[in-house]
Amino acid sequence: MVWHIAKRELYEHLNSLRFGLTTLLLLALMLTNAVVYLREHPKRVQKYHDAVTNARNALTAQADNLYVLAQKGPGAFYKKPSPLQFCAEGGEAFIPDVVNTNSWQWRTDALKSFWRLSYPSITPNLGNIRPDVTKVDWGFIVGYVLSLIALLFTFDAIAGERESGTLRLMLANAVPRHAVLLGKFLGAFLSILIPFSIAVLMNLLVLSTSRSVHLTAGEWERLGIIFLIALLYTSIFLALGLLVSARVQRSAVSLVILLLAWVTFVVFMPSTLASIAGGFSAPMSTAELRERRSQLREALEEPFEERYGRRFLSEKQTEVSPKMQAQGDYVMKDAQQQERLNQERLTEQIAQVQGARNVTRISPVAIVQHLIEAFAGTGFERHLQFLENVHAHARQFREFVIEEDRRDSESLHVIGVPTGMSQKRVEPGAIPRFEDTLSLRRDFNTAAMELLVLVLFFIVLMSGAYLAFVRVEIG
Amino acid sequence: MLPTLIRRELLDNLMTFRFAAALFIMLLLVVANTAVLIKDYERRLADYNTAVKKHQQKLQERDIYSPGFAGVVLVRPPNPLSIFNVGLDKRLGSEIGIRPSGAPTLWEARMHGSANPLLNLLSSIALGFIFEVVLSLMALIFAYDALAGERERGTLRLVLTNAISRGHILLAKYISAMTCLLVPLIISLLFALILLTNSAAISLSADDFLRIGGIVLASIAYLSVFYLIGFLISAITHRTSTALMLAMFVWGFLVLVYPNMILATIKTSDVPQERAVSALNQMKQIWEQFDRERNRFLAADAFPGEDQLFNIKEPWGFGYDEYYENALTLFAEYDRQLNFQGIDEKYQPNVPHLQNYHRFLIPLTIRTADRVWLIRKEALVDTLVRQANFKRTLLKLSPAGIYDAATQAWTGTDLSGIRDFFDAARQYRKTVMTWFDDKDAFAAREWFLSDKREADWSTLPLFSFERRSVEINAKRALPDVLLLLMTSLVLFMGIFLLFVRSEV
Repeated sequence: MVWHIAKRELYEHLNSLRFGLTTLLLLALMLTNAVVYLREHPKRVQKYHDAVTNARNALTAQADNLYVLAQKGPGAFYKKPSPLQFCAEGGEAFIPDVVNTNSWQWRTDALKSFWRLSYPSITPNLGNIRPDVTKVDWGFIVGYVLSLIALLFTFDAIAGERESGTLRLMLANAVPRHAVLLGKFLGAFLSILIPFSIAVLMNLLVLSTSRSVHLTAGEWERLGIIFLIALLYTSIFLALGLLVSARVQRSAVSLVILLLAWVTFVVFMPSTLASIAGGFSAPMSTAELRERRSQLREALEEPFEERYGRRFLSEKQTEVSPKMQAQGDYVMKDAQQQERLNQERLTEQIAQVQGARNVTRISPVAIVQHLIEAFAGTGFERHLQFLENVHAHARQFREFVIEEDRRDSESLHVIGVPTGMSQKRVEPGAIPRFEDTLSLRRDFNTAAMELLVLVLFFIVLMSGAYLAFVRVEIG
Repeated sequence: MLPTLIRRELLDNLMTFRFAAALFIMLLLVVANTAVLIKDYERRLADYNTAVKKHQQKLQERDIYSPGFAGVVLVRPPNPLSIFNVGLDKRLGSEIGIRPSGAPTLWEARMHGSANPLLNLLSSIALGFIFEVVLSLMALIFAYDALAGERERGTLRLVLTNAISRGHILLAKYISAMTCLLVPLIISLLFALILLTNSAAISLSADDFLRIGGIVLASIAYLSVFYLIGFLISAITHRTSTALMLAMFVWGFLVLVYPNMILATIKTSDVPQERAVSALNQMKQIWEQFDRERNRFLAADAFPGEDQLFNIKEPWGFGYDEYYENALTLFAEYDRQLNFQGIDEKYQPNVPHLQNYHRFLIPLTIRTADRVWLIRKEALVDTLVRQANFKRTLLKLSPAGIYDAATQAWTGTDLSGIRDFFDAARQYRKTVMTWFDDKDAFAAREWFLSDKREADWSTLPLFSFERRSVEINAKRALPDVLLLLMTSLVLFMGIFLLFVRSEV
């Protein structure tokens, strides 16, 4: 029975103006997406490879001397661009794709500061004077366009039939109401599924004809998941449309309510809520950072100068003296403290964004965009993953330096002081290589919660629609 | 007859659910967002003040005159009207250093620090965007059944049996619907203004209120265009459901899809090659001439050798003199930076020679930089600015794009508004250089060396940036507003012709 109604609905939709317009719109958007991606992605990959090669070469050049290597550090870390960037652009313009390491000379003296991780805070491409617009990625197409289309397919599903009187006719037959509702849902779902699938297939077809894009099995898996998420999200809006349509007497009123709800929840809610929530916590300001940086340095400098005077040792030492040990501690502690400070600030910043993002979960569009980002391997979650990789590698690199130094029998093993450390050549191939990776399992853990919320949305709205429809009087 | 018709239509519209809904949603969104936007503005103002203070402090501490990594740095204040349309205000560089070797442009500007740059991920929505999205949607919802609905119900036939001209019917419908649509706009704007005037951080001048008036004007014109689009759809369709569907897709296309799609499909080449290359070559030639002149000077002066640093080795500080070029932003400059805290005693006799050289070199650098700027200015306009403006023109094929451009021009957050700041910065560069010249700072020891005397910044003229007057904003915005009005007129004529000829 359900299938019968669904088929009737489907045929009706297939002949309608909205079906044709939907197909056209989705096709145009998806093709644009593919064309733009094919144009931009090779450049992105090239840029990444160039940067990584340069960083590696710089590192190899330092391998002649373990001390220099230990002092200058592993160089810059670059974030690997995701091949699925066409699914979610992920605020690429606002998230840095690099973590730097820096160090500097203190006085014109024998001792140099050791490297620490620093997180660039620039907004890239300040010279871009072109008008800015949302990127046409799958997230946009699904989040904004598909949800609007879903509402346009259901706003008159029940109210319209009531107006034209056919609802009464239909219910005069021995059809259970839930079957009618389910049939209507399925009919609308299928008539969106068809143009959306065609558009997605065209998009992927264009992408796979290009030589520059190779998607692995894992990536196809991710694409499949994203496709399913898009369908779940569409179902939410279909259910919302049915709910309002069942409650309201006239289809025009139903549409007004739905459109306003759409504008509020989809267009405005995410950014407004996020801005409000972003105001709750205030991370360390730049002035404060500078202040604390110099405080830390002074706190370190004073006791050292009191005991050992202003000058560091520069001449070659044959055995470990307390002063040398103190110098090594000084250098390492400085690097450690400053890095911790940088990280503290970063953590505060991330917490602020994280808090704001949690609040926006009230809006399904925010959830679906987070989810698509998570599975496409772009955006904020991905950035956190990248940072984690960087931190792990930084630890590994420090351990590597200590290990190498320990192997040199001539070294005094005072890390941080040029004369106290091995100055031997390091095999360039032995230096740990930074590998930025993406793992689906981790993605799924963060995403599971959000998926559940989406399912919850759907269940609540669908049962709301059922209850509303069961109670409807047909006068 | 017309007033009666208008009254009928007005009552018809005012008593509807859609009117109440429009009013409610506009109030909700505008009030909530204004509060957020004010907070955001306060945050940016605080960042701006911190940056200004930091640079002032650094300048006072700076003991030499020559600008290097530090020196006179100008900070661009946030625009209070960015609450209405943020435009490029947040996105383009906000601080710029003043150097003798080049005129400051927005392409060299940096971003001053902010507490959390990651927050930019969470886009905030300016009031203009709310109007752009919600008002256009409301206008279509008010319009789609204006004619099609009456035709369906048969009331159109009834009305036309009276001796009423068809033009009057259209006009009455248009005027009354526009009045209804204006109510939510004006009321929500009033609430926003109340919030704005209550905020301590924002002080609006009389000019600002005129600018806001301009925004209202643009909003009305925009509203009218969308209402008439809906009206047109209503005139050509026979059933309201078709009209509605068509209207919604037209809205989705014009507001949501077109602006994003058109910019993505148009390929962005980085700088048209030939023009940029020829300009760069020209600039390079001027700098080469500069290089020859200074080498002639070095050869002719009393000091043996042609060393740029007069053989001063291993100073306590740093010094270099290099030529930089950036083809993407057409940047070409000789960057000479000397910053010595002290030098070895044996080089002391060389210092007067170096001073003498600077007396010649720095004014020459400034003159050369001015000549280079003349070329660069033209080339920038021909390449980068033209490309950006072409994209803006493409956006204007959608009324939403025209409206966006108009509100940006009124608020002064458009490209011209931002460039005004850099014009002011270039003016100020002249002031600073004259001030240096008056103090004879170029030839002073403390231009580059701070061992004996230190630079005295106390008499430096202060920089202040005033946004251009409201007439300039009007001049930039009115073409777009007129374009919207013209579109309205054309649409109205079209509807009139269709309606007069249509059979009932």
